[in-house]
Amino acid sequence: MRTPAHILLIEDDVASRELILYLLGAFGYPTTAAADGVAGLAAIRHDPPDLVICDIQLPLLDGREIARRVKAEAALRTIPLIAVTASAMVGERQSVLAAGFDAYIAKPITPETFVAEIEAFLPAAQRAARAR
Amino acid sequence: MQTTRELEAALEAAIREATKYRSLVESAPDAIVVVDDAGRIVLLNAQTERMFGYARHELMGQPVETLVPTRLHGRHLLHRAAYVADPRVRVMGAGLELYGLRRDRTEFAVEISLSPISTDTGLLVSSAIRDVTDRKRAEDRFRALLESAPDAMVIVDRDGLIRLVNSQTERLFGYARAELLGKPVEMLVPARLRAQHPAHRRGYFDAPRVRPMGAGLELYGLRHDGGEFPVEISLSPLTTEGELLVSSSIRDITERKRFARMLSEKNVELERANRAKDRFLATMSHELRTPLNAVIGFTGTLLMQLPGPLNADQERQLRTVQGSARQLLSLINDLLDLAKIEAGKVVPELEPVSCRELLDSVAATLHPLAAAKGLHLEIAAPEPDIVVHTDRRALSQIVLNLATNAIKFTEQGEIRIAVEPTATGVTPGVALHVSDTGIGIRAADLPRLFEAFQQFGDARAREGSGLGLHLSQKLAEMLGGRIDCESTHRRGSRFTLTLAAS
Repeated sequence: MRTPAHILLIEDDVASRELILYLLGAFGYPTTAAADGVAGLAAIRHDPPDLVICDIQLPLLDGREIARRVKAEAALRTIPLIAVTASAMVGERQSVLAAGFDAYIAKPITPETFVAEIEAFLPAAQRAARAR
Repeated sequence: MQTTRELEAALEAAIREATKYRSLVESAPDAIVVVDDAGRIVLLNAQTERMFGYARHELMGQPVETLVPTRLHGRHLLHRAAYVADPRVRVMGAGLELYGLRRDRTEFAVEISLSPISTDTGLLVSSAIRDVTDRKRAEDRFRALLESAPDAMVIVDRDGLIRLVNSQTERLFGYARAELLGKPVEMLVPARLRAQHPAHRRGYFDAPRVRPMGAGLELYGLRHDGGEFPVEISLSPLTTEGELLVSSSIRDITERKRFARMLSEKNVELERANRAKDRFLATMSHELRTPLNAVIGFTGTLLMQLPGPLNADQERQLRTVQGSARQLLSLINDLLDLAKIEAGKVVPELEPVSCRELLDSVAATLHPLAAAKGLHLEIAAPEPDIVVHTDRRALSQIVLNLATNAIKFTEQGEIRIAVEPTATGVTPGVALHVSDTGIGIRAADLPRLFEAFQQFGDARAREGSGLGLHLSQKLAEMLGGRIDCESTHRRGSRFTLTLAAS
């Protein structure tokens, strides 16, 4: 019996948040969202999700800092963290991975492949049946 | 009452004394002139006659000022009165230039030493006069040399006393020459540095050689008005008349220091400006991509028909939105790449790159694109394979760019990508050709082909960023190569990238 992963999205840009929530919802993933770093970290601790998609430039707490704190807590360490960032400067990828993220996806995202990229970090049992 | 005999004996003794004194005077190398307390000449030697051009009888009983240039008479009378008041053996007019006057009214430089002789009849003063014309001439030449130096020159003796300075020294330190001569050179050194100076000075006299003073130290000079200024000093030993002196040439480096400071401030400013530009680029990149994320993303979800089916018009229009959004994204990417290259932020990572592998991967990427237009994509890999030492990513970006252009501007025929070794010149190289049978480029447009935002040909050209060839050329330059283009309008083009093979 499949139980689609519960995904947490931490993203401050309203349009990007709406896009990713829509995509994940369309593919059958129940997703909650937080609009700043502090709320995001609180949500992870309160009800640990199966996977976190996280922007890097965030109000209150930067995405890298979220990754450092999550990876420092034994109970949360195994949650896959995926960075989605519009920053494309030299060394960004390395610095994001060094902070503890498991993967890096550049914005703008490719909607046709985005969900598949995320699913690569989910065990088969947590993948949703393809929607529509 | 003395007897005649006694008188004769006294006279004889006096004559003997006088003769002895005379012969002593005559044997002296200098002109000797003895004057009484009224300044009249009472004795002179043959050297005096020769030096001044007078016969003895012409001078005897005459005022000694006869031998002094008229313009100096007043001064001489005063000095003579002062000497009589305090008679002791000394050099006349220390620090002053003295002159003698010959019978023919010509002047000559002299050096005079004075000694008092007490007699029953009063004080006599004996002056030994030396003609120093030759020495003076040599000194004048030396002084002219000092004056011609661009720097302040201070010549110091073993005791640290200033012996000679040039007028540059007077100007630089604000002293008159007379205030410096014979004084310790430490008067030109700031008080806080003065204590160590004599030890350094003695050290130099122990091992004198031409060298800069205080290598690695900050040196300062002290002006008469108490102001300090940074200096650079070079020292050289100077031996004159068997005496070791040290000549120091002193340069005011206030201006140079100010300039150096200004330069370093400018550098800091430039660095700051550069960092601001980098920040601006990073921010711009981020701020442009963020809204594009929603545009490209939602266009994608609509075209994926996730919200519901589309009719043909909706689909066509959404494809146009998608194409434009992707064009905008590639423009942003190219601009950022270009900015990074121009800022020197892109450092090529050199590694051996197999041309065959490179062509295969380009072909794999572009085959679908060529096939969709019914074009034949031909790859002519070199046999045997050529390995170039270059940046793989940059090279494949160039080839992809050129080949994508070729496909875009060709309606039928073929695209050919070929690599061949070049033997031109001394260094072996490689030439990579991308040829097409497309619309070609007008000869008039060729010169501006690699400039930014130049778009030639038809509407297809406007689908790109207008930066592709410009960026490719910049990448080629970064790899130490270049791209050239041959083209015939309506027949096709051939772009050639040449690189050094090593």
